[in-house]
Amino acid sequence: MVKKKYTYLLMVIPAFVIFFTFHTYPALQGIFYSFTDYKGYGNWDFVGFKNYLNVFQDDRALSAYGFTFQFAITATILVNIISLLVALGLNANIKFRKTLRATYFLPFILSVLIVGYIFKFMFTHLLPDFGKALGIEFLSSNILGNPDLAWIGIVLLAVWQSAAFNTLLYLAGLSTIENELYEAADIDGAGSWKKFWKITFPLIAPFFTINMVVAMKNFLMAFDQIVALTGGGPGQATESISLLIYRGGFEGGEFAYQSANAVVYFIVIVVISLIQLRVLERREVK
Amino acid sequence: MKKITKGLVALGLGTSLLLAGCGSNGDSGDGEVTLELFSNKSESIDTYNGLIEEFEKHNPNITIELEAPPEAETVIKTRLTKDDLPDIMSLGGNATYGELARAGVFHDFSDSEIIGEVQSSYVDMLGQLVGSEEEGTYGIPYATNANTVIFNKQKAEELGIEIPKTWDEFIAALETAKDAGETPIYFTLQEAWTAMPIWNGVAGNLVSDDFAERKNAGETTLTEEYDVVADRMLELLDYGHADNFGIGYSDGNSAFANGEGVFYIQGNWAIPEIAKANPDIELGTFALPSNNEAEENDLVSGVDVVLTVNEDTDHKEEALKFIEFMASQETAQQYIEEQKAFSAIQEVFQEDPVFDGIKVNFEEDRLTSFPDHYYPAGMGAENLVQDFLINQDKEAALETLDAEWDKVINR
Repeated sequence: MVKKKYTYLLMVIPAFVIFFTFHTYPALQGIFYSFTDYKGYGNWDFVGFKNYLNVFQDDRALSAYGFTFQFAITATILVNIISLLVALGLNANIKFRKTLRATYFLPFILSVLIVGYIFKFMFTHLLPDFGKALGIEFLSSNILGNPDLAWIGIVLLAVWQSAAFNTLLYLAGLSTIENELYEAADIDGAGSWKKFWKITFPLIAPFFTINMVVAMKNFLMAFDQIVALTGGGPGQATESISLLIYRGGFEGGEFAYQSANAVVYFIVIVVISLIQLRVLERREVK
Repeated sequence: MKKITKGLVALGLGTSLLLAGCGSNGDSGDGEVTLELFSNKSESIDTYNGLIEEFEKHNPNITIELEAPPEAETVIKTRLTKDDLPDIMSLGGNATYGELARAGVFHDFSDSEIIGEVQSSYVDMLGQLVGSEEEGTYGIPYATNANTVIFNKQKAEELGIEIPKTWDEFIAALETAKDAGETPIYFTLQEAWTAMPIWNGVAGNLVSDDFAERKNAGETTLTEEYDVVADRMLELLDYGHADNFGIGYSDGNSAFANGEGVFYIQGNWAIPEIAKANPDIELGTFALPSNNEAEENDLVSGVDVVLTVNEDTDHKEEALKFIEFMASQETAQQYIEEQKAFSAIQEVFQEDPVFDGIKVNFEEDRLTSFPDHYYPAGMGAENLVQDFLINQDKEAALETLDAEWDKVINR
């Protein structure tokens, strides 16, 4: 028993130490500096809650919040619908099931930046040509250059890329459902729509919960998709909070101020995730 | 328990070794000195290595190690926090240089002979970056860049366009191009920063050099002084192509290289890229004549490379020797030839025919600085300017620029 305990400790402690040194400690440092006027180097003084007060008065931060939520909610809903549909399809008795599964997982392996440049090429060259040929006005110029439409381009890239991972989670969920349930439903004469709503969906509820939370959290922290496609533009139309924190903090020399922004954002994400978990877990089958 | 302790000790040692590995010491006894040269440009690594070899041949007891990391600005700021600055630094003439110089970590070159051999406008530009509170010259401006209008020589000849000297002449040239069915200016405004070469070119000759200083003191606003600049920006936008905000920098470079557009408002750094896309293209350059008084139109040019020495290095004499070597006429000439840049050293000129149109500006010291280099970095001017060009609401845009500026300097 004693020996077993040591083995556990031996496995846990290195992970804990590394996690603490490279993750928790810098995070605590960030919180600390958010109460100072630190520029990233040199001398600093405590300024109390000044940075926090400024965050709440910063239009740029507010519009970044607006964009990020609009983007994250749309993308989360789309990703979950699409990946659930794909997972149902891939779970069915179809030909080349394994090959198809591998193909659908491919987007997840590719780097977002590379995929981003491919998407950018499509938005810049292929789509406008297509739009012009068909005479569709809003497609005949690059949608990334239009402040009202650019966010849709980012949603498309984000959904295309992250649906793969969520599909994988749904597939895992679907494989936990016993086949007898469907057989029993068949005997009772249930149609496939009814089978989905009464059997499949309730039984994969835990996976639905985790997918919603993970997807939402990832999209709220959107960064590389935006860097690859628009760089926050046109204007500041697609500037997400992560991008704003990075830009202002490292390029703009406002380390302390953006640390305060990051702390606020951290709290927002935690709260949203907790609410999501509470609400969604309640409707899971116990 | 013992095993855990051992494991932890090993881990701790490993990390501390890793961290210690980052620091270094340049002393190796017996008169041999190793200096570290830090450069922020990955483009000049080969050039620097060649020059270092040359220098080491003449100074056998000095070894120079070049360090040119990615994200160099962040690296140098972190090294400042660790009190571990390199011996010799080759940095960009931007806000970061100003910050470091104000931190008092650079050698003061005020009494150095080299300063007398450098074009004085660049020394002033560096001084403005540092600010008026600090006296002294903390770096040698070495290589410089130019914010130009690049033009397709063949097209300009066909259309009979001469190099314009005033704003009206420039607009007339754009009209000629438009009437001939050409795209007068090829914009690449999908990427926000490409609005800045235009903004800087227009503002450089219309707004006085001390604008940022007066703005910071609360004596003026962009609304007051950038009115004409904003009007002329919008005027230029009329001469673009169908999808001005849909094309980015690299797509623009290849489009221009392949004959789309007569004029292309970009820095000299775009020329090698355009030539890469089409080696046969013949290009020319001139300074954007945003003013209607021909003699008021200077070339917007900035310091691309500043050379400076760590104030607290143990080997200042040797470090300064390297700076002297770099500032010599032959070395400076070799540098700009390899880098297609311009030199801040007097009498050293870029002879590439592409730059014929702006050579006179360097010869006669008719230069002015990049206005946006003095804007507060945190305001993100480029996206605001891009937004202005999209929405074309002059008053609102200038007010936003003013508000963002004030917000950043006040927090």
